[in-house]
Formats: sequence, C-alpha cells, structure tokens
Amino acid sequence: MNWTSFLEFTRGPLFYAALLIFIAGMVYRLVRVIALGWARDRVKSRGSKLGGAVRSLLKGFLIWPFIPWVKNTFSRSPLIYVAGGLFHLGLFVVIFLGAAHMLVWKSLLGFGWPTLPLPIVDWLAVVAIAAMIVLFINRLVHPVLKLISGPAEWLNLVFVFLPMISGYILTHHLFFRYETAYSLHMLAVDWLLIWIPLSRISHFMFYFFAKAIHGAQFGKRAVAP
Amino acid sequence: MAEETIYQRLQAAGISRRDFLKGCGGLAALMGLQQAPPVAASGLPAHLARGGDPAPLIARALATKARVPVIWLELQDCAGCSEALTRSHSPTLVDLVLREITVEYHETLSAAAGFQVEAAKQAAMKQYAGKYLLVVEGSIPTDGIYCTIGGHSALEILQEAAAGAAAIVATGNCSAFGGLPKARPNPTGAKGVLDFIEDKPVINIPGCPAIPEAFTGTLAHFLIFGGLPELDELHRPKTFYGHTVHDRCLRRPFYEAGKFANTFDDEGARQGWCLYKLGCKGPTTYNACAGIKWDAGLSFPIQSGHPCLGCSQPNFWDGGGFYQGQSAPLDRPGIGVAAAAAGIGLVAGAGIAMANRAQKRASDDGK
Ligand code: HEM
Ligand code: SF4
Ligand code: SF4
Repeated sequence: MNWTSFLEFTRGPLFYAALLIFIAGMVYRLVRVIALGWARDRVKSRGSKLGGAVRSLLKGFLIWPFIPWVKNTFSRSPLIYVAGGLFHLGLFVVIFLGAAHMLVWKSLLGFGWPTLPLPIVDWLAVVAIAAMIVLFINRLVHPVLKLISGPAEWLNLVFVFLPMISGYILTHHLFFRYETAYSLHMLAVDWLLIWIPLSRISHFMFYFFAKAIHGAQFGKRAVAP
Repeated sequence: MAEETIYQRLQAAGISRRDFLKGCGGLAALMGLQQAPPVAASGLPAHLARGGDPAPLIARALATKARVPVIWLELQDCAGCSEALTRSHSPTLVDLVLREITVEYHETLSAAAGFQVEAAKQAAMKQYAGKYLLVVEGSIPTDGIYCTIGGHSALEILQEAAAGAAAIVATGNCSAFGGLPKARPNPTGAKGVLDFIEDKPVINIPGCPAIPEAFTGTLAHFLIFGGLPELDELHRPKTFYGHTVHDRCLRRPFYEAGKFANTFDDEGARQGWCLYKLGCKGPTTYNACAGIKWDAGLSFPIQSGHPCLGCSQPNFWDGGGFYQGQSAPLDRPGIGVAAAAAGIGLVAGAGIAMANRAQKRASDDGK
C-alpha cells in the first residue's frame, strides 16, 4: 500500500462509509431525542410560539456574538466564551467558505457558492487552531473543568483538532508529501464523521432545536428570550 | 565483430565532436545529472565520476558503449506514447537517444508484418537475450479473450519477452498503472506491467502520453550507466517524477494568493489564475510537465489554460471527474443510498424508543 492508493481509499470507500454512518447516526440521535416526547401543552398561548423561536435563533446568531458582555456566560468565563466563539467562527469559515471545502459540498449537493480568498480562510484556520489549544489548556488547568472532563471530552477536542491541524499542514505543504498529508487529513475527517453521532459534538444539530424550543416557550408567554 | 560504438556511429552520420559534446551537455542537464549521486552510481573511475561537469562522462560512455536493442510491445494501447515520441522535436535528446537504440521490434513501426515480424521478434529475443530493453506500451488484460497478437494473449507475449529482458520500461499510464483500459468498470480486467513481473527491474514512465523527454532521458540513463535511475515508490524515475506539477506550476502564486478561475472564460481564466476549482490535479500529480513542458518546451496543459488531469498517477480516469475539484470525494452516496442510511437511523431510533417506552409502561403498570 502506498500513499497514493491510501489516499484513494480515504477519499473513496472510507469517506463513503463514514458519511453513511454519519447520516444514519445523526438521524438516530434526532429520533431518540424527539421520541423522548413533549409534555402536552395545556396552557393557552399569550404570544406566538413561532415568532419566539425565530427571534431566539436570530438573536443567538446575529446579536449575542457581537455584544457578549451582556450575557453572564461571558462575564463568568470570558476566555471560554471568546475562544469558543472564535473556534466556531473559524470552523464555519473553513468548512463552508474555503475553496477546497466548497468543492466538497458542491460535489455532494450539486451546487456551489463563492468562497473567501485563501489567506483569509488561512488566518481563520490559525485562529481556530489557536482557540482549540487555549480551550485544551484551560480544561487542563481549570480545577472544575478538569473534574468534569472524562475521556470523551478530551477525545472530542482531539478528534476535531486533527482535521484542523492536518488541513493546515496540507494547505501549506508542511512536513509531508501532499498525498500523505491529504491522506492524513481525510483519515481524520472520516473518523470525525463516524465519531460525531457517537459523541456530544452532535450538539451542533441539537443546538438549533434547543434554541427553537426555548424561543417557542418564551414566545408563548410573550416574554423576550 | 566488435560492435560499433555510439560515438562511431554518430561520426559516421556526420556529427562533429563539438556537436556531440553539446548534445551530451544537453542530455546531462535534462537527466538532472548535475547532482553527484547518479554520477557516482555510474561505476566509472572516481576521477571521472566525482562531481564536476557530467558532459564528458556521458561523452565517454557514449564513445565506449554499443547501441541498446529494444523490443517494443504494444498491448491494450492507443500508440499515443509512440506517437508522442516519434513526433517530438527536442533536438538533442530525442534524436540522440532514438538513434542510439535499435528498435528490433515495434508493433506499429516495424516495416514487416504478420509471421515475418513475429519471426524477427523471436530472432531478436534470442540474439540479444539478457541484454535488450523491453518497452511496454498499453495495459495487459487478464481476461484472455482480449488483445491477442499472433494467436498469443497479451500476458503470454509480455511474459515471454520479459524473460530475456535486461530491464522493462513501462511507458504511459496504461502499461504502468492500467490507464484508460482499467477505468471503471474495467471490462477487460486490465492491469499494469508491475502486476505481473516481479523478477525484472521495471521502470514506469507514466503519462497520457508519457513525456517524450522523460522516456528518452530514462533510456539515456540506461544507455550511459547500464543501470536504472533512482525510482520512487511507484517505480518512476525521481529525476522526472520527483516533483508535483503543482510544485513547479507557473500559476502557483495565484494558488497561494487564493485567486482562482471559476469558469473557463471568466476574468480569472483570462488573467491566468489557478485552475484548482476547475479540477486541477496538479497538487497530487508527479510529472515533469511544468518543467520540461511539451513540444520542445513550448507549453503544457496548465499553461494553455486546462487543468491537470493527473495523467501520471494511478487510476486517474477514476479520480472523481476531470473538472471536479481535487478535494471532492471520489465516492459519493446518491440520494437513494443516503435516504436508506437515514431510514436505518430512523427505524433504529424509533424502534429503541418504542422498546424503551414499552418497558417503562410495563414497569409503571407493575407498581
Ligand atoms: C470531506 C471532507 C473534507 C475534505 C475532502 C477536505 C479536504 C481538504 C483539502 C483538499 C484541503 C487543502 C486545500 C489546499 O490544498 O489548498 C483542506 C484544507 C483544510 N481543511 Fe479540510 N477537508 C474536509 C473536511 C474538513 C473538516 C471537517 C475540517 C475541520 C474540522 C477541515 C479542516 C481543514 C483546514 C483547517 C484546512 C486548511 C485551510 C487553510 O489553512 O486555509 N477539513 N481540506
Ligand atoms: S493550476 Fe493546478 S498545478 Fe497550478 S497552482 Fe493551480 S492547482 Fe497547482
Ligand atoms: S498537466 Fe497533468 S494531465 Fe496534463 S500532461 Fe501534465 S501531468 Fe498529464
């Protein structure tokens, strides 16, 4: 087995299998959560549930990230808030607005979109990598966090870190031949796809539901979330 | 009868010593002999081999060595590699080398035909046993019914000719890695030479077609040093396949700056920006295109505005589409398969949820 054929494997059958496991796993997780059931709603609404849900989601994306100091999650641990925020920003830009990744989406969905210049994506990749290191160290030194971090928490960080760092190495042609670095990147990505449904990283899907449900509850009582 | 040396033959053809040495210099440059190791590996006396100008070394070798007999098989091929070679007009190398190999048998170029040419091949294999260079163009089908010549299967022909060869040169992607015939669904079960030959040195010169200078440069190496050049893990000479097309690409600064052509006729394409988004496989393709180029250094595909197809890499026909980005996955589940996976998740989730609920109800009832 040489790196060229290993790359074919990680870009081909392994990716294929990982993606199917990802899809099946995420649907499974979602169904399990939905099947937990809702308490029957016997109280008359005073406001619009839908409006509340929409408002909650919009606020979560468009307002809070820009005025974080009014939230007490921020004032309680600004480091986690800022590092976490920057990590997610970097991740989003790299995965959706980098040229290489847009081409992945295009091949899967059948349509593409404009991308950001590589240097910008590149800096945000660095920011995300730095943020992950900060979060890792913070978890190591923070007494409470350390207590509540089981193996799964550490592994989550590592498994997201690996595609990031290997992607950066790949783009910059560092240390390895391109097909070697590419194989490692794909291996990390394929594993992440399998790992996500098994882990709490699947929060990215539940986040939107949680936000919507909270918003709906606030909306119903006609109070601002 | 002492065999005529290469230099003697060139003299007889009216080539002056000056032109001869110039040719040797060009050859050395092309073969990348400026570095010491291949020169040292030549087995020549130390004072000649130690660094310095390799041209005299080549001159000396050519002045003392006899011509190399070549048997050239064409199996499942398009003759494109032969075409590229015979039509290339790089003055020094191709001329020099082509004149210095005697092609004893070539399925397309031999003047004779039918039983005559087969007999000539047999005679050449006997006369030069253990000395000739076997060049293979085209892939080998493993289904016996495809590609038979003179009543023999391609595999028989290859094995027979390989038995007496000093070394085998697989030219083009087809004989190196299976090439076009091996593209999915590979109806003939096509494979490359290395899938069958284990007891002989095999050099791959992949490409579609192989760059003539890479082919002749490798032959020149064999001619001059009597041995194989240094090879990479895919048996390709490092001199010509040591760098990716991307490493030497003239559009590379645009890649670094993130400036891409999005279509073949947009502003980016006109400005000569990077072709990554149009499917360029340059980053994973090891070949000398960007350096040696084609048509005597005139241009090469990327310079002319077309993305690299990856023609010197194994399985490039199945590399996910020529115009699909290098990063796109090779295998993608279709809507049906993806829906099936989602369905499995759904059924499993609902099933377990129902089982849990039933269990809970049972235990509630029991209370
Ligand atoms: C199917 C999934 C993916 C494929 C096929 C893929 C492919 C690639 C390729 C080919 C590059 C290099 C582009 C170049 O050489 O210019 C790259 C870069 C990168 N990838 Fe991925 N990738 C995938 C998923 C991911 C994921 C999930 C992450 C993060 C968690 C990630 C993080 C990165 C990063 C950080 C870079 C470097 C970007 C830069 O520095 O500009 N990739 N990826
Ligand atoms: S055109 Fe191809 S080989 Fe050239 S820089 Fe762009 S990706 Fe690399
Ligand atoms: S640019 Fe790429 S596909 Fe084209 S001839 Fe060169 S290596 Fe082959």
